[in-house]
Amino acid sequence: MDTLRKTRWLLVMLTLAACKKPTENIKIVIDTDVIKYTALINVTDGQNGSPAPAATTIAITGTAANDIFELSGKKDIKLSSGIVTIGLRPTVAPTTNQPITVTAEINAPGYNRETRQVTFRAETKQQVINIQLTKTGSTAPPVVTPPPPVFNNVSLTFTGRCPNRTDLEIRPSVYVYFKKSDSNAAFQYLGYMDKGNISTNLLEQGGTYDFQIVYGAETYKVSQKIDQTSYNLTLDMPAACNF
Amino acid sequence: MYFRRSIVLLLAILLRCYQVNAQNNNQPPSLLGQKSILLNVGTQGVGAEFAYGVLPNLALRGGLNFIPFKAHNVFKISGFNSTSNLSADFYNVHALADYVPVKTASWFRLVGGFAYFFKAKGDIRVIPSDDYKYGDLVLTEDQIGYVDLNVNWKGLAPYLGVAFANTFPRNKFNVSFDLGTYYLNKPKADITGTGLLEGNSSQTPQFQSNIKDYRWLPIVQINFSYKL
Repeated sequence: MDTLRKTRWLLVMLTLAACKKPTENIKIVIDTDVIKYTALINVTDGQNGSPAPAATTIAITGTAANDIFELSGKKDIKLSSGIVTIGLRPTVAPTTNQPITVTAEINAPGYNRETRQVTFRAETKQQVINIQLTKTGSTAPPVVTPPPPVFNNVSLTFTGRCPNRTDLEIRPSVYVYFKKSDSNAAFQYLGYMDKGNISTNLLEQGGTYDFQIVYGAETYKVSQKIDQTSYNLTLDMPAACNF
Repeated sequence: MYFRRSIVLLLAILLRCYQVNAQNNNQPPSLLGQKSILLNVGTQGVGAEFAYGVLPNLALRGGLNFIPFKAHNVFKISGFNSTSNLSADFYNVHALADYVPVKTASWFRLVGGFAYFFKAKGDIRVIPSDDYKYGDLVLTEDQIGYVDLNVNWKGLAPYLGVAFANTFPRNKFNVSFDLGTYYLNKPKADITGTGLLEGNSSQTPQFQSNIKDYRWLPIVQINFSYKL
């Protein structure tokens, strides 16, 4: 741009004579829904429902395994709090006639090896696969977790914060777990948060809850007492800030 | 350097106009019934006007101006590597009154009036310039998307300013200058995004707040008049 044009630009726009910089306090908002077809794999100890031991590993095998990534886009797939979300490479999508299937193999010291087929179908963009581990030599039946009670609807809007990048804001699309803060029970599945938004009828008015997401092999939590019908919650999500 | 030369040239022309006026100003001319057409160039772009003297010390000017403008990379968001494409379009029709407050100094005028900006907008498209990776995935441009910042001042705007050199040429041609400002409509601002940047529309209220005082459009303009 030549000097004349620069001068003209300065005169026209800058001398529109205001005090504030137009971009002051404006953040760049980034969505995380790069991977469209996802499956949350939740591995628990079948005897008590608690998350799988920290040493538990997961391996994805099958002809389509090369197209499977962790929700954060990483090829390295690890469990955190017994949870991982896997999904298809964005350029790959199942069709009605051709679903895509892979096998998840779970190994944990002292537990029997578990394998489970995960099938991505055109009509199902999100799915939850629960895998209960059984201890080697144990014949005890796995615990059955009762479904959580139902209450009135509550809307939650989650925003991901980048501790080292105040100019960035994350709008997460991720599976959410919850439990009452004063409870020793395991986290239960709440639902899928789409672009930061989730509406649920599993939260009791007056109750205080811990919410948990797993993203990029990291577990992030936030607590909130519920006494309104909508909340804006903020999570630190450094694993989503590598832009 | 170019700008400094322009200022010196402007002052020289002003001085010359004043000298010519001073020489011819034995008897102040009446504006009544005089007509001229003007071509102008300045911060509101280029335009044309018709001027007519309605009283001995008052002339009316009506005309139009437009400034279509495009530029690249004049806009940055801190910490975000990006390229930007800017376009600004200001199109107006206006009616101004030139009042000569001092008879013996007809080269100096007070100017007031209105313009209707039927187009007054600035659009900036910010496109990430890095090859962004999402984990181990390299994202395409379509997946990343872009952010559009749009501002619109369309509407009626009052004008106040001063002008130097006579409204109407003594002979056939003259050059005159306008200095003033429009007070534009309160701008409507919004942000939209696509791809991974779609959520940036949530920043619209902040952008609207930042831009709400951007209402003064200063006018520095040179007019070339031809007497009819």
